Amino acid sequence: MSVPTTAEPDSGQANPRPPAATATESVPARIIRALLTQRIVLLAVLIVLVVAYFSILGAGGYLTASYDFDYLSAALINAVPLAMLGFAQLIVILSGRGGIDLSVGAIVSLAGMIFGFAYGQWGWPLWTAILLTAAVGTVLGLLNGLLVAYIGFPALIATLATYYAYKSLAVVVNNQRPISTKPIQDLYESTAQSVSLPLIGDYIPDVPKGIFLFLLPTVIVVWLLLARTTYGRRVYAIGTNDVAARWSAIDVRATRAGAYALSGLISGLVAVVTVGQFASARPDAGVSGNGMALPAITIAVLGGVAITGGIGRVSGIVLATVLIVWTNAGIRLAFEGNAGPQYQLLALGLLLVFSALLNGFALRRYGGVS
Amino acid sequence: MSTSAGDSLDGGAAGTTRPPGPVDGPITPQPTNDAGASGATSKSGTPRLQMTGISKRYGAVRAIRHADLEVYPGQVLALVGENGAGKSTLIKILSGAVVADTGTITYEGREVSISSTSDAMALGVATVYQEPQLFSELTVSENIFLGREIRKAGRIDWSVQNAKVVELLALLDLPARYATAVVGDLSIAEQQQVSIAKALAGDATILILDEPSAILTDAEIEVLFRVVRRLTTSGVSVIYISHRLDELFRISDDVLVMRDGRTIDTYPITELSVRKVVELMVGGILSETKHERRIDASATPRLELVGLGRHGEFHDVDVQVRPGEIVGLYGLVGSGVAEIADSVYGIDQADTGHILLDGQAVQPRSPRHAQRLGIGLLPANRKQQGMFSFQSIMFNISAGHLSLLSHLKVWVDRGKERAVAQDMIRRLAVKTPSENQHIGAMSGGNAQKVVLARQLVERPQVLVLAEPTQGVDVGAKEEIHRIIAELADAGTAVLVVTSDLPEAIRISDRLQVVRNGTTTVEFGPDATQVDVLAAAAGDVDHPPSPAPTAPDTQSGSTEHSKEVS
Amino acid sequence: MSTATVHDQPPTSTKRQRILAPPVTGQEIVLLGVIAVLWLVLGFTTPAFMSAGSIQPLLGAVAPIALIGIGMTVVIITGGIDVSVGASIAVCSVIIAKLVLVQAGLGLPVAVITGIVVGGLLGLLNGALIAYGRVHAIIITFGTANLFLWLSLKLFNSSTVNNIPDTLAALGNGSAGRTAGVPNSFLITVVLVALAWVYLRHTAGGRHFYAIGGDQLAAQLAGVKVRQRILIAYLLTGLLVGLASCIVVAQGSNLGQNVGTGKELAVIAAVVIGGTSITGGRGSVLGTVLGALLVQTVASGVTQLGWRSELSDLFVGVAIIIAVGADLIRERARRKR
Repeated sequence: MSVPTTAEPDSGQANPRPPAATATESVPARIIRALLTQRIVLLAVLIVLVVAYFSILGAGGYLTASYDFDYLSAALINAVPLAMLGFAQLIVILSGRGGIDLSVGAIVSLAGMIFGFAYGQWGWPLWTAILLTAAVGTVLGLLNGLLVAYIGFPALIATLATYYAYKSLAVVVNNQRPISTKPIQDLYESTAQSVSLPLIGDYIPDVPKGIFLFLLPTVIVVWLLLARTTYGRRVYAIGTNDVAARWSAIDVRATRAGAYALSGLISGLVAVVTVGQFASARPDAGVSGNGMALPAITIAVLGGVAITGGIGRVSGIVLATVLIVWTNAGIRLAFEGNAGPQYQLLALGLLLVFSALLNGFALRRYGGVS
Repeated sequence: MSTSAGDSLDGGAAGTTRPPGPVDGPITPQPTNDAGASGATSKSGTPRLQMTGISKRYGAVRAIRHADLEVYPGQVLALVGENGAGKSTLIKILSGAVVADTGTITYEGREVSISSTSDAMALGVATVYQEPQLFSELTVSENIFLGREIRKAGRIDWSVQNAKVVELLALLDLPARYATAVVGDLSIAEQQQVSIAKALAGDATILILDEPSAILTDAEIEVLFRVVRRLTTSGVSVIYISHRLDELFRISDDVLVMRDGRTIDTYPITELSVRKVVELMVGGILSETKHERRIDASATPRLELVGLGRHGEFHDVDVQVRPGEIVGLYGLVGSGVAEIADSVYGIDQADTGHILLDGQAVQPRSPRHAQRLGIGLLPANRKQQGMFSFQSIMFNISAGHLSLLSHLKVWVDRGKERAVAQDMIRRLAVKTPSENQHIGAMSGGNAQKVVLARQLVERPQVLVLAEPTQGVDVGAKEEIHRIIAELADAGTAVLVVTSDLPEAIRISDRLQVVRNGTTTVEFGPDATQVDVLAAAAGDVDHPPSPAPTAPDTQSGSTEHSKEVS
Repeated sequence: MSTATVHDQPPTSTKRQRILAPPVTGQEIVLLGVIAVLWLVLGFTTPAFMSAGSIQPLLGAVAPIALIGIGMTVVIITGGIDVSVGASIAVCSVIIAKLVLVQAGLGLPVAVITGIVVGGLLGLLNGALIAYGRVHAIIITFGTANLFLWLSLKLFNSSTVNNIPDTLAALGNGSAGRTAGVPNSFLITVVLVALAWVYLRHTAGGRHFYAIGGDQLAAQLAGVKVRQRILIAYLLTGLLVGLASCIVVAQGSNLGQNVGTGKELAVIAAVVIGGTSITGGRGSVLGTVLGALLVQTVASGVTQLGWRSELSDLFVGVAIIIAVGADLIRERARRKR
């Protein structure tokens, strides 16, 4: 409902936005503008600060181990599920109308159990088992998509309901028992272990295999999907203005349902990674403790994805993940015992509140964040 | 619009002490017209409210150049003018939504300043907007008293509050049980009456009704009029805005005419006719010489609507558009003209009649389907239906044609996309440094060109343009009209749906008037604004052609009259 | 929906003029019916279900969810959401159990007041950020959830709280926690729900929550103190979280670090099953209590039938889909007219 006080007529000259950066703006003002409006710049600066801070702490002997490049590189394994689920949230949040997916963790659990059955018990070949798991994830995501796009459920409600349902099925399907047969245990080798890269391996630290097997392909595929394909364009279009998208002859509902299916697909792949990491298909893999949805949404928001849809980029997710993973890695070295993971929560919470307030401020001050 | 009318009228617009005499060159109102003294019986004593020398500009746009208004207790003052004449701005100033740049406002003789809506409410100025501003989940009673609930011991005193609401409802001929009805369960007309009740609850002395009849049925309008009459007998002043001029003769005492951001004058209704009001609104403008386009009248119409109807919105619509022809559909707000455009584009499907493309019956199911059939549409509401605000010009142009601008419909061909965007920017003379500019930062005219460009990437056989130049500055308007003419010259069948009268006349080869949900009179290229507006506003006494059929005799309206020019 | 088409009703002058909308909505009647049927079916199939030993813990388990649900209903009516309540429960519980009861050995009044004050402070933080920071509620409360969780884990200091004295027995599951056979926690819930019901239905402040959820800008124009109301909604939720935490602590002699995990979703589920619209503007605390009762009935029934207890989550998911789906269909039908 519009309100009569919005009196400004849609006249030719009316331009509600502040003017774009002009040559007259001073250098400090331009730096501040870049920090506030370009999330990538802010994240890059924060990453440099975090790495510098912990390196200095390490040099001063305040850390329990060396915060060096080998350590940072090994820490990246934690980035795999986090970043991938961040992409899942990126796609659904981009699709607009309050898009969000609370069910990703439950899909990870359920699809992980299916993977456990297929690869660990039925003796399927690895790739077929992965394909099956991805397909299961896609179907579970598609159900969310149908509820949201075709029936009109608010995304929060639909994915809350399926979160409960999938979570329950994951536990019931194998009577609450994990699957950790020999083939599953051997998987650990192929995902979590670090390898030395050919050719340039001598010059850079070893990198966990999972990065190459899952994360990098996902980064590239999601980036190409969003930036280069017609589907990506449609997702941005419906997220920006789904009425205009309909009037531009875009099938809004199919596009939106597809976003949730993709989120499910990615969750299915994360299920495989998680089974590898734990060397076991656990029925509560994606929902134990804080679950997986919350960190993934945090990554997305921190990465500059606007909760209202249509704004967000792959690079933001990647940088936000790296920032969180390296901050956590540093915290782990700075605190003994359980204090580490606790301070990670603090860091995550502060970053999220801080970035949300910053988004709001940037929106009022500069008219938007990109 | 011409500017010839403006300057000579300054004397006439000066207010209450207007000297009698001719108002404008070609139009000669009644020479005996001295509205201030002898007009309607309701005018007595001092005016309740006077606005003098009001002006307002938005940026470079002068929404009001000079406006005077005075309203008396118990008077129904109609405010009329074409779109963009400044009516709504004047009303916004009076209701406190906008602050005037210059001018004074006096209320019962003392000068007041209205700088917020609460200032206006405190004076007793209440406004009922066309779209009811209500909370659909709350009851009527709660809506009426929201923010000023009657309390007793911390709780809302429902019985006292409801008793007052029932009184108000009785005033509006609404049954008492409505007091506890949830507003979302009421029809739009009922919701509007609730809005009126809400306005009255604040002890309004001046009630502004902004196009109240546009969304009402005839029976509902009757009720509205009864309410207005009852209010005026109790001393409330009513300012009534309407495009449906025939109504004014049934309800108003006096008519204040605005044109080009100026108030022309106030005339007693007894001295006017629909035609005279129209003449005053339009001013003495000579019709411009138009670019004559040759259309093969024997060609099969590219687009033909035969007896098209959609329940509750329009019925028996007959339109033919030949290749290379620009047909205008002109109708006032609420006439159903916008809904006709939507059904051609598959937004809402028609439920009776046919849509023929090159003689073949088609049924557009969705905009996607319509586009495949070769129908393009420029939406009426640019911000809501057209623009992807924080995306680039290129994105905005290619969004509707991703299959074309891609390899195998999957991989976006960025080179082609950029080339098409640059080509469109050049062809439509979009003023922008590059195709990467965000559309949200552009002026209305440029943004409109970008949205129009989206429809031209795959040249449609039929192009429907809904309000093509709404909220667009004069220069861009010219250019958009030129683009439309070029498209028609290249063989596209163009249907322009507009409520902008000069535009409708200027751009159309043939112009059909939509009134009460159906096509009525047709005009040729030499139509005058007066004739067209009179037809659209319901002037049945001064026929430019045989009288349009009455709205309720549906069977007869298919054989609508045509004026062959 | 019980509110029939108004303009279709024949004028009934003989009927006494009602001065309020019906006190019970359609959703609530349906929920009541479903719960009644479930109880009957479970009562016949598994006689143990109808025993005091089964019903009493059921009501005790409903209490904290329904209590927080009151606040969450108000928050959701204003168009917001609070996903930090699970973490808030953890903070309040550990402070009550560890600091007040175990370490300081203080009595029930101090424990309850401490819980409510701490909860109120957490809610105030959420409310201030949302009302004055003008940011999306879901994002901010996701963020504060992390902060609260950190705080609770810090207080837990890596171990469960053991040997909690039975100071709060009056709120617990034992015989000391019952009056006339009904758990006190449930009685408190009923009283507070009744108060909230009257507040939301009969006071200007209560009605303003609905106006804000319906159209924030229009509410502001009508003179509603929008920011203050939003602040109050989150503050209220925090206060109730504090009280609910006392009941949670009272239910055992140990307190694990995962005490609040997943509770935010359980509360939101109860609210939406109860018919409150997630987009704001509509809802009732009565529905929320019934929603919580339905969820617990299903959970209890599933165990009584000897099924895996985790299966109850599946039914909760299905219940959400059905409840909200029915509401969507009703809304669509209403808008078509």
